[in-house]
Amino acid sequence: MTDTRTPQPPPESVAEEVEAAHSFSGAKEERGTGRTAEPTAASAGWLRWGWRQLTSMRTALVLLFLLAVGSIPGSVLPQQGTDPGAVQQYFASHPGLAPWLNHLGLFNVFAAPWFAAIYLLLFASLVGCVVPRTFRLVGAARTPPPRAPRNLARLPQTSSYSSTLPPEAAVDGAAAVLAGQRFRLRRSGADDRQRDGASHWVSAEKGYLREVGNLLFHLSLLGVLLSIAAGGLFGYKADKLLVEGQSFSDTTAALDEFHPGRLVSGSDLPPFSMTLNKFTANYIQSGQSRGQPSNFDADVSYTASPGAAPGTYHIRINDPLSVDSLKVYLIGHGYAPEFKVTGANGQVTYDQATPFIPANTGTFQSDGVVKAPGTATGTDLGFMGVFVPTAISVGGTLDSIFPAADNPAVSLIGYTGNLGMNSGVPQSVYQLDTTGMTKVSGSPHLLAPGQTWALPGGKGSVTFVGVKQWVSLAITYDPGQMPALVCGILALAGLLLSFFVRRRRVFVRAVPAASGSGSVVTVGGLTRSDAGGGFEEEFSELAAEIAAAEPAGHSEPEPSTKPEPSKQSEPGA
Amino acid sequence: MFKAKRRTVVTVTAALAVLLAGALTVTLLTSGNGKASDGNSVTDGNSVTYTAGHRPLAPDITGTSLTGTAIKLSSYRGKTVVLNFWGSWCAPCRGEAGVLALLDKQYGAKGVAFLGDDVGDTPANALAFTRGAGISYPSISDQGYAVVAQLSQVVPVSDTPTTVVIDKTGHVAGTIIGAVNYGEMTTLLHDAEVTQ
Repeated sequence: MTDTRTPQPPPESVAEEVEAAHSFSGAKEERGTGRTAEPTAASAGWLRWGWRQLTSMRTALVLLFLLAVGSIPGSVLPQQGTDPGAVQQYFASHPGLAPWLNHLGLFNVFAAPWFAAIYLLLFASLVGCVVPRTFRLVGAARTPPPRAPRNLARLPQTSSYSSTLPPEAAVDGAAAVLAGQRFRLRRSGADDRQRDGASHWVSAEKGYLREVGNLLFHLSLLGVLLSIAAGGLFGYKADKLLVEGQSFSDTTAALDEFHPGRLVSGSDLPPFSMTLNKFTANYIQSGQSRGQPSNFDADVSYTASPGAAPGTYHIRINDPLSVDSLKVYLIGHGYAPEFKVTGANGQVTYDQATPFIPANTGTFQSDGVVKAPGTATGTDLGFMGVFVPTAISVGGTLDSIFPAADNPAVSLIGYTGNLGMNSGVPQSVYQLDTTGMTKVSGSPHLLAPGQTWALPGGKGSVTFVGVKQWVSLAITYDPGQMPALVCGILALAGLLLSFFVRRRRVFVRAVPAASGSGSVVTVGGLTRSDAGGGFEEEFSELAAEIAAAEPAGHSEPEPSTKPEPSKQSEPGA
Repeated sequence: MFKAKRRTVVTVTAALAVLLAGALTVTLLTSGNGKASDGNSVTDGNSVTYTAGHRPLAPDITGTSLTGTAIKLSSYRGKTVVLNFWGSWCAPCRGEAGVLALLDKQYGAKGVAFLGDDVGDTPANALAFTRGAGISYPSISDQGYAVVAQLSQVVPVSDTPTTVVIDKTGHVAGTIIGAVNYGEMTTLLHDAEVTQ
């Protein structure tokens, strides 16, 4: 009788069964990495070893750390891309060290091959880690609950009662309760008859949301990577300096700096145009922080495309103009003194507001040059200027004491000769090449607005007409920004789900009672990573509910939650 | 069986990652300078020539000249138009001005009209230059690059100077980005004569 009811299963199937009950599919496969490669071609083995190393979590963390360390020189040393002038200055002040740093690419870190190697490896590592994990998680989420273990009394949570119903009906009742609690069920089927004999069981599992959360986290991580890549490939960044009253259209020719993504060309720019009507900077007038800026406001008019209705906007710090899926940020400002230059023959050769670059961002003392090519060779006029918004003379040296243009003045050093602009070789508008020129006597000459300096020898004159302001605008288009944000939020949500939802299993096994009628029902429960606790209560409530589902009066629930020692049987808990 | 499936997954992933990394490297390392000749245009260095029948129609550019008169591109219909984008602040533009002034003299009587578009400049600076350089053809005062943006919708005007040749029917026959030289300009002007 005993033989037919409980046939002795082969030893390995017992082990398998215990494994099924105690481990959750996610953990089982993790252990699979321990298997060694077959000794086929040695190179294939090495490749596989290398791949496994690359995609290991440790390598990814090391690469991430390297990426962070590698970007330090990018913020400590001047960079070619953002401030080429500062790089030249660094070369001049560190003649011994700078060439070595340059060999290592430290002046252009983010374009250096070693930096690219780090992020490409990191990318490969992340993709190589995340993609197989994703497959694995899909598998884990789809795996049905395992068979019920033979001896439910060994599980951490158990409870049993005797039922008046035959085993199958008793399990039916329990299954109905579990189904009502939205457990995923697996009933003992016809093929289990061989193993189980007259006993019936149901396995129930809940908390698949944990795997869904895990999956969501991993997929979102991939999404973040792809979004960043999309931003790098399809986005762009441009800078434009704009003087009050001037306008520009968003074309590469008009932009001062244009950093397109790898798959962006000039014709992809949306055809918006913009005019700077007025720029206002307010400064704190008194107290300790006198001279500190309190407000910036760039009043602009813009049209999204030629012929579209014009709009106006006040661009402020952290309040960019959004037009046609791109954003226009205010990133800097300065003064543009207006000069009018006449040549020796009395003809006006230059009449323009000339942007000067702040040398001191506290007082806005600024430097700039004026290049007024003459109408005949050798009659070019050039000026190097220092502009001060609030002039004060300290022992004969011009200085500025306040950043607002309260008492503007400009000091000019004049040159005559050949500027070299007709040679066709491009020049910087902020630098004066004085090799073909001679200094005008009487330099430097101080001018207040409205004043004119008639150059000695009838070589011409220069008038300081007035002062305008300029703003520096950053135009950015990053199509990856929004997807990256969404994916980031989803990744966080997935992570939280996988933290707070726990996978738990409940098994119910009913064996015919020794008395011949009715059955003995055992309920067992198990959970992994019960970080939040609470499974014990859930289980006892559930067990009581299952027992209570029996026809009244016959059930005698006797919950016997096992104490600590039984927990040791759970591997890796 | 499960192991075999797992290995496929690993292989697929490995291949995918290698491909992605490879694609990324290629896109990062190539500077996007690939220029070729398709059926519609021939690219040679900094010049692009559009074959007759495949020429993009130029927008009807309008503007005000440096001296204040109205200019309309469509009023040049029936003539080949050389549209030069320049600025007095731009040294390569000043450098090429002699070639353009000479071509204007030689081709002006042969039904070729020259037109400038002065960008990022002030009329005072621009007129001081054109007088000195002996340029007599008019220029649109285009401080804000509006004409550049308009034409950029059709052909790239990515740098200053850029020269665009428009045929008698108002279609773009070719562009030269950067300073022009006499030889490539005359070639382009002869190509522009062929229309459909």
